[in-house]
Formats: sequence, structure tokens, C-alpha cells
Amino acid sequence: MSSEEKPEVADSSYLTEAYMKRLQSLTEAVDSKDEGKISDIVGELTTLRESSLYQELGMLTREIHDAISTFGNDERIAQLATEDIPDAKERLNFIVTKTDEAAHRTMTAAEETMVVMDKFSGEADSIRKRWAQFRNRELSKDEFIVLSDEITQFFESVESESATVNSKMTEIMLAQDYQDITGQMIKQVVTMVKEVEEKLVRLVAISGLGDPLPAKPKKASKVSDGEISEGPQLPTADKEVVASSQGDVDDLLASLGF
Amino acid sequence: MDKDLKILIVDDFSTMRRIIKNLLRDLGFSNTSEADDGQTALPMLKTGKFEFLVTDWNMPGMDGLTLLKSVRADPNLCNLPVLMVTAEAKRNQIVIAAEAGVNGYVVKPFTAVTLKEKIEKIFERLEK
Repeated sequence: MSSEEKPEVADSSYLTEAYMKRLQSLTEAVDSKDEGKISDIVGELTTLRESSLYQELGMLTREIHDAISTFGNDERIAQLATEDIPDAKERLNFIVTKTDEAAHRTMTAAEETMVVMDKFSGEADSIRKRWAQFRNRELSKDEFIVLSDEITQFFESVESESATVNSKMTEIMLAQDYQDITGQMIKQVVTMVKEVEEKLVRLVAISGLGDPLPAKPKKASKVSDGEISEGPQLPTADKEVVASSQGDVDDLLASLGF
Repeated sequence: MDKDLKILIVDDFSTMRRIIKNLLRDLGFSNTSEADDGQTALPMLKTGKFEFLVTDWNMPGMDGLTLLKSVRADPNLCNLPVLMVTAEAKRNQIVIAAEAGVNGYVVKPFTAVTLKEKIEKIFERLEK
């Protein structure tokens, strides 16, 4: 290949030797009014320009092709779609079940404890009243015998029921074991979501939309008018939009005449 | 305040219904029933002679806002006091609930004291 041909296609600049040489000949041809030669040189220049354009287009096509095929051949993506995401769904469902169970276990234990405490408080109240009567010498001998029996029973019941309360408290503590396992699972799901996010960003970049992360699109008007429930807001959410505490809610309602 | 007040608690999470039920019982209200969304709640309200409604907003089936609007639109139920206990904390949502005729609005997570305050305030205003 001659030294003339090689650089002329690879360089898109108009200042290459190949262009300069022809432009010079073109000036000469114009000066000598040689129309045949002018036409030839213009033709050559056009070919020269087109070939560098095609070259660039070819390179771009190759780049896109490579990017897409690497992306397509990324086994990790297939794995994410067929394994990791269904797995994450299962984990999240498991977390819902686990936390629900724990909440009910805790509440059951708390409710059962309340029953015991109510009983204690009722019995203690009844005994205290009659004890006061006894100290004021207002109790007959027979009544005192009944009271004395009741006090004995009360002590026994406190002793045995305390063990019940204790075991309920242990139950409540044990019910918190979901935190460990669900915490770990949530971390796994977060890692997976992060990976999917990275892949998506790459996909957007390949699709050549320019800015790989375009600005957040405005939410549909139906949502922003507040008719739709959106669930809990993060405490870090936009203070302008979200009432962050009950105090904020009360202020807002007060401003509406509540 | 009438402690025998008949109350309907509407929330899709049974844990939340249980918490509200327990808190209400602590406040002396034991006459409570439960429903898991608006669709279940509405027929209960129509026939059950409930005197107070505590509802969540975000629920499958019929949500709390729709339930509130249905209650206000029903001539037999339109005066029923409604307390919303919800995680929906956006300002415009609170405004919409107010416009739909809610009597009180409590955002989750809430405390027993807040619940008590709001309920007392609702009935205080109604007795005036």
C-alpha cells in the first residue's frame, strides 16, 4: 500500500497530505480553466471525504456491536433474572412472614402478661383494703381468717405467676430473633439491587441516550395530587412534601381549621 | 365519653389491628371489631351500628380514602367520626383526607398518647 493511500482514510481532518495535494491541483486546474480536471479532482475529494465518514461509521458500529454482544453474553445478567431476582422476592416474602410472626408472638406474650398483672393488681387491692380495716380494728375474727387465707393464696399465686410472667418475657426476647436473620437477608437483597442498578446504568449507556442518567421524570399527575396511597415515607424524605412528625400533621390540619 | 362505643378498626395488617385494638382497650374501649380493607368494612359499617371508625389508608381492595368518601356519601353513615391511622405522610395527602372529611389523622409510627389525644379531641369537638 502506498504511503499516499494509507493515512487518507483514517484521518477525518481536511489538513492531511491527501487533501492538500488535491486542493493544490484544484487551484491549478481552476487557474488553467481545465474543466475536465476540476471535475476529476472534486470527484476525488468527495470520495476521500465519504470514505473517512464510512470508516468512522464502521468503527462506531463495531463498538456498539461489541458492547451489545458483551452485554448479551454476560451470564451474570441471565443469572440475575432467572435466579437472583426470584430469590430476592422469596427472601422479602420470608421477611414479611417472619416479622409478622414475631409481632404476633410478642403481642400474645404481652397480652398474657397483662392478664396476670391485672389479676395481681385486683387481688392486692382487695387485700390492702381489708388489711387497712384490720389495722383499724374493723374486721371480725371470721373475716380475718378469710383474709389470712387469701393472703396465703396471694403469696402462692405471686410466686407461681411470676414464673409465668418471666417465661413470657423470655418469649418476647426470643421473638426478636427475626432481626438477625431478616437483617442479613435484607443486606443480600440490597447487594443484588445494587448490582442490577449497575447493569441497568450500563445498558442505558450502551443504548446511547447520551446522558447515562437522565433527570428524574415527573411522576404522573394522578400520584402527585395525593389521591393514591404511597406507603411510608423515609424520615429523610423531602420536608416540603412530607410531614415528618405528628406535630407537622397537627400543624397542617390546624391550618386547615381542624 | 361513652366507653362502650362501638368501634371498627380497618387495617390490612393484622399486627396493626391488634396493636390498635390493644391500645383502645387500654383506653377503656373494648367494644371493637376488625376488618382488613374498605370492601370488608363498608358492609359492616352499613349494618353494624358502629359509632367510630379507625382506618388505615393504604390497603388492597378498597383503600381508606375511598372508604372515607363512601362513608361521607352514605346518608346513614355520613356523620360517623373517622380517624385515619396511616403511614401516608405527604402534606397533599393529609390535605386531601381533610377535604374528604376525616375527623383526625395519626401518622404511623404513633404512640398510645397520640392515639388517646386524637380520639379525645374528636369526641370533644363532636360533643360541642
